[in-house]
Amino acid sequence: MALPPPLRTSVTPQELELIASEQLVEILPLITMEKTAFISGAYGPLRPPAKCRIPLWMAVNLKVKKKCHIIPPDWLNVEFLQERLSRETSYPEFSQMPFRFAEIAKAILDVAPDDIQNADKVRSLLKDLREARQAKSREGLAKLDHSELSLPNSCSMEINELRPFFIHAMGVLTQLSREGEDRAAAQP
Amino acid sequence: MDNDYFSIDAILAENQKIQCTFKVDVPEVGHLGGGNDRDIKAPAKLPIPIWLAYIILLSEWADLTIPAPFGPRVRNALKAEPRSVRLSTLVGAGGLWYGFGKMIMDILDDEQANIMSDVLTKAFRGRLTEVIDQAQHFATLGASGVAGPAVDAAQSFREGLDGTERELFALAQESSKRTKRWYESHDRARQGTRR
Repeated sequence: MALPPPLRTSVTPQELELIASEQLVEILPLITMEKTAFISGAYGPLRPPAKCRIPLWMAVNLKVKKKCHIIPPDWLNVEFLQERLSRETSYPEFSQMPFRFAEIAKAILDVAPDDIQNADKVRSLLKDLREARQAKSREGLAKLDHSELSLPNSCSMEINELRPFFIHAMGVLTQLSREGEDRAAAQP
Repeated sequence: MDNDYFSIDAILAENQKIQCTFKVDVPEVGHLGGGNDRDIKAPAKLPIPIWLAYIILLSEWADLTIPAPFGPRVRNALKAEPRSVRLSTLVGAGGLWYGFGKMIMDILDDEQANIMSDVLTKAFRGRLTEVIDQAQHFATLGASGVAGPAVDAAQSFREGLDGTERELFALAQESSKRTKRWYESHDRARQGTRR
């Protein structure tokens, strides 16, 4: 194992962010650019004031250079998040969110808070949402079993946070439980 | 935890003695019990290291007594409140209570092993949530640590963690620290210019 110990257990949040950067977002370009070929595909052309869909990493890059406005995805606004948060706190299961919402939201909020209406409110809603969901994954823990754990609708960042230790705990439980199948067969 | 020959955990967990009651006289091995007798006489009770116990039990020279860390007292305490039992004191510092239990479980016959497995599994699951809660709590704290009398119960629980649980604690703490650091980082501008 050539990897340093912290990298062995799981993917890092930074790597997840990198993966999420491949997703397309809409932007409002401020510069003109011909259609350009990248490894992941050809994007463009950018012709203001026409909107264009490009990968998040490119949008972030352009935004940092003040060459575009990012149009936030339809779930990144106060009303939507408010609604999800109230659903999150009133039902026991995870509410449905885009799989990589945490990474995308952070990337956009970091570079383009001026493109989002009421960015501070959005930020605090995301934080509340995260805490509500964390409480749920904690409850899911009590149901941990040696063979499976089902947490539908949890998102990549949440799964990643739990992964190293869930794997280990399940490994221990597998060792501690005696051949589950024979016992289950013998019991009924 | 597994019984792999190369598993360091298995070797560490084996560092325990178990009480065996001899059913037959065994000549010339009295030194095993640490005594001065030349032979082991029939109803002698001797603590035997686990690695040696396997062969003695298999040859039916002796009967196994379930060791105190898994005896009725501990079982009842675990049944009452898994979180208040200090597993580490049962098997010595850095001890692997679950690993040791697993070894005993493998020696026992089916019926007893199932009971044992239940005890171990229930204890593990009962304590798991608390392990994680504390790990996450500690991940959010700085290096300054905690103070105050309210943390006494938590601290005693932490000191009572067995080796396996300590590992879990470290894993959970590290990953939640890492995630938290990411949520709080703001190196976006720098990244953007570098690309």
